[in-house]
Amino acid sequence: MIPYPAHIPSRPFQYRVLVYAVAACAFTTGIAALLLRVFDLSNVVMVFLLTVMLVALRWGRAAGALAAVIAVASFDFFFVPPVWSFHVSDTQYLFTFLLMLVVALITGQLAARLRAEAVGAAAGERRANALATVATDLSVAVQDEDIARICDTRIGPLLDGKVTLLLPGRDERMPSSGHGDTGIAQWVLEEGLPAGRGTETLPANSATYLPLTTPLRTRGVLMLERGAAQPLDAEQLGLLRAFQSLLALAIERVHFVEVAHETQLHVEGERLRNALLSAVSHDMRTPLTAIRGMAGMLGESEVAQAIVNQADRMQRQVTNLLDAARLQSEGVRLDLQWHALDELVGSALAATPLGARQVVVDIPAELPLVELDATLFEHVLVNLFDNATKYTPGDATLYIRAGHTGSKLRLRVEDDGPGFPPGIDIQALFAEFARGTRESAVPGVGLGLSLSRRIVEAHGGSISASRREPHGACFDILLAAGEPPTVDLEDPA
Amino acid sequence: MNKPRILVVEDETDIRRFLRLALEREDMTVFEAGDALQARIDAASRQPDLIVLDLGLPDDDGKAVIRDVRGWSSAPIIVLSARESEAEKVAALESGADDYLVKPFGVPELVARVRAQLRRASLAGARGQASAIVRFGDIEVNLATHEVARRGEAVHLTPIEFRLLATLVRGQGKVLTHRQLLIDVWGPGHASRSHYVRVYMANLRQKLEEQPARPRHLVTELQVGYRLAGIVESS
Repeated sequence: MIPYPAHIPSRPFQYRVLVYAVAACAFTTGIAALLLRVFDLSNVVMVFLLTVMLVALRWGRAAGALAAVIAVASFDFFFVPPVWSFHVSDTQYLFTFLLMLVVALITGQLAARLRAEAVGAAAGERRANALATVATDLSVAVQDEDIARICDTRIGPLLDGKVTLLLPGRDERMPSSGHGDTGIAQWVLEEGLPAGRGTETLPANSATYLPLTTPLRTRGVLMLERGAAQPLDAEQLGLLRAFQSLLALAIERVHFVEVAHETQLHVEGERLRNALLSAVSHDMRTPLTAIRGMAGMLGESEVAQAIVNQADRMQRQVTNLLDAARLQSEGVRLDLQWHALDELVGSALAATPLGARQVVVDIPAELPLVELDATLFEHVLVNLFDNATKYTPGDATLYIRAGHTGSKLRLRVEDDGPGFPPGIDIQALFAEFARGTRESAVPGVGLGLSLSRRIVEAHGGSISASRREPHGACFDILLAAGEPPTVDLEDPA
Repeated sequence: MNKPRILVVEDETDIRRFLRLALEREDMTVFEAGDALQARIDAASRQPDLIVLDLGLPDDDGKAVIRDVRGWSSAPIIVLSARESEAEKVAALESGADDYLVKPFGVPELVARVRAQLRRASLAGARGQASAIVRFGDIEVNLATHEVARRGEAVHLTPIEFRLLATLVRGQGKVLTHRQLLIDVWGPGHASRSHYVRVYMANLRQKLEEQPARPRHLVTELQVGYRLAGIVESS
């Protein structure tokens, strides 16, 4: 619970109730004097006891105790012989005094407690009503403005002051144009502790700033301005604490309603984009198939070959775009299975036109299976091989090596081409739509490497690039080795 | 020698035209169908030697056409798949298709696949029973004696390795899905353990391929299955 303030101040004692108690006893003495003409002295005792009880009931415990003492004294002084003196002739009256005092004190205290409980119950009901009203109002609030209005119109009057809701902007900063001291409000928001008047932090400030904290975080600040009014009593403090929780929950609910709404819009947008992308890719693939096929019919001419190459390239870009859309929209749903790296490498090599480039593959046969999404991972390899062919001359050599590095599997793709241009940030190659040379003559939108990084990272791995000595480019993929499923030993059939 | 009769089922006119031109240039007779209904009629009336079938037809699922045709015809079916989904290809193959081509594809690729399937069908039809000795590259496999030789030298294969190889050999270039291989080699209880195939295929490649990572004969069809390429007709 919020530590504000550290101790609950009790209501200041009202000394005038003692005067009322004395007055009541004097009045009773007068009545008793009249009654004594008709009734016996023992009945008069009852009148005093009644008075003590009524005083305690009306004015509380202390007044009751005082009334009990005065009642016994005046009974002695005015009515017990010798009258007008505290002297007692018959010693058995001493027992009467003692009994009377004890009975008066006990009934007085009981009556006082009864009253205190009645008052407490009434206060509890008032508080419950106030809380229920505010809670009902808050439950229909759908905007921060609604909550602010409830603070202003409902909560303020209950606390005898002005209550203002301060909410941070999207950047988690308190708006400087708002009410109160922005600095204090910001501090309260960040620390989740109260500040200002009546607290341990900056008590000289005229207003009190209270954090509105949910189990997740502090969502806002409640500013309480009470001018010269008395400090809050215990009941108001209880209310204030309840309001803090209610307000915090209401703000959080409004926040999540907004988040849900935004998410829904986002999902709709994603769905539209996905539908568009798959339609585009299908609609592109059909003419691409026709173009590529027709060009193939033109024979082995250079022009025909160029058309075929460009159609292939376009096809790979369509595949990349589709992968990118899939990775972004579905989060990443991987179809993980245990695969042999050399098989994936072979499959990717077969899918990439490498021209006359030499390929040296060195993957140990005993390398364990790795768990990955073969389709996506093949696209990573195709992108790397495709890159290597784009940026190396036709007589370059590609080296593909794999091995263990600690608990990881390392796959390294190297070429002995010219390597990365000097002065470029190699790791920035993996950023969205980056390319080694600006506006170069080499085709490709730079989607390949950023996509590759996303795919590898989705597998819990990492990809990095480096310069190869003496010249060339080197790409490293690190994957967690995992524990491949066992394969039953072959039965000697 | 009769011209091979090819039925092309494809709803896109331009692709259909290019398929017809490419196959006619190879001295084949081509019939065209634009939807599943026409495909079923032509498959029955034209008696094609081979069917090239697009999976995305406007009026029916291509796989349903495959199953129907397989009910009474053993003509090879090559599927054209425009979709990324490997599951689609696997389903088509397990419905009875023999091979697939992913769009876009080139003329040489198309012609090679069509020729390979025609040859496979004629072999199976002519002799009724394939020869016991099969060669591919510098490998010779004797299905009767379970002997395998590479460049004339005997290669030792474990029983499962041999069963796997023999299944691929009997497929004669047909793409066999992981499931089909698992059931054939290990039995129905192992149908979902595709890593078994990968491990044993890696062993086979180590023993039979020049460059295991760039196989020329034991070809991977990623996420689909395997195929034996380069079978030489035995005399």
